[in-house]
Amino acid sequence: MPAIISSLDIHIGTMYSVSMIRKELVAASAEPLILSLLDRGESYGYAIIQEVKARSGGKLQWTDGMLYPVLHRMEQRGLIKARWGESETGRKRKYYSLKQDGKRAMEKHHEQWSLVHAVLSGLKKEQYV
Amino acid sequence: MFDLEEKISEWRRQMLAAGIKSPVPLEELEAHLREDIEQQARAGIEVSRAFEMAVRQVGNPVELRKEFVKTGTQRWLMLRKLKGFLLGAGEIPLPALNNFEPAARRTLELAPEEARHFNHNFVGTEHLLLGLMRSDSKSLSKVLRTLGADNEAVRLEIGRMVTAGAVAGAPTPVPFTPRARRALQLAAREASSMNERHVKAEHVFLGLVREGGGVAAMVLRTLGVRLESARAEILKELSRHRGAV
Repeated sequence: MPAIISSLDIHIGTMYSVSMIRKELVAASAEPLILSLLDRGESYGYAIIQEVKARSGGKLQWTDGMLYPVLHRMEQRGLIKARWGESETGRKRKYYSLKQDGKRAMEKHHEQWSLVHAVLSGLKKEQYV
Repeated sequence: MFDLEEKISEWRRQMLAAGIKSPVPLEELEAHLREDIEQQARAGIEVSRAFEMAVRQVGNPVELRKEFVKTGTQRWLMLRKLKGFLLGAGEIPLPALNNFEPAARRTLELAPEEARHFNHNFVGTEHLLLGLMRSDSKSLSKVLRTLGADNEAVRLEIGRMVTAGAVAGAPTPVPFTPRARRALQLAAREASSMNERHVKAEHVFLGLVREGGGVAAMVLRTLGVRLESARAEILKELSRHRGAV
């Protein structure tokens, strides 16, 4: 199937042309990003992926399907809730929204990431002193 | 002529064949696939090409299945624990702790710490096992290395089966699950069958293996630990130790 091979080449090409965020960091940041996005209002898988992609200039990319096990686990843990609805064109869509525990978990994530960031930028500054 | 519906049916068949279940999560994945194709088509990309890219972007069904299976297992384990508590957590007493040697007792102190670390409001066999890893019993760590269940391997496996809770704030004291209690009782029994007056960290380990159904037992089984060989290794180590004294 030559068509598939050629598009795979393009895919790999774009993957290496930008400096992508490494996979461990992508995995670790998924939950805080999802929680923070949902804090702004109800959303659905496709939109969450697009928004993260856009905000990171394409450097933070998930394999789309992998988002859903993460969402399902967060739902089981009571962080978010889901409902089936419809898109503007009448297609089925599953919407997720934040629950109280999710809000608390988000705040905890923010605290921890801020701390890591503060330590890192403190050390970076010292390099130039 | 490219028939999108036919292609999507084919994609569904492939997902089902790889073990992705319907309706959950396949319906949601299909909704995603259609959304992606629609958006790409709106941007002027040919539908056949949009389909191809959307399928790739959703990902390899085998890899996806692994992730969803994990989700199912974690949920099942949590429900089972809840059921255990409801069916009489208090009925299995904890064995008398004054018979526990310092390393074994330290395990029981560390286990609730491990539970808190996960934001869990119970102490399960997995927390006992993690406590055991930190209890600094030299002879046990030696046995564990021989058995191929070193600290790192155990932590990794537990991390695969258990997710951390969302919010801190476990009750104090954190209650032991029925399986954890049973494992501790079996530990006491292991000690007495070896004619030991005190319960050592090694016996707690054997109790966890013997209990059989808890997360600790599952993890150890995955790592290839078997009760008989574990017991044999421990007896060997204990008698060597005794010989040295």
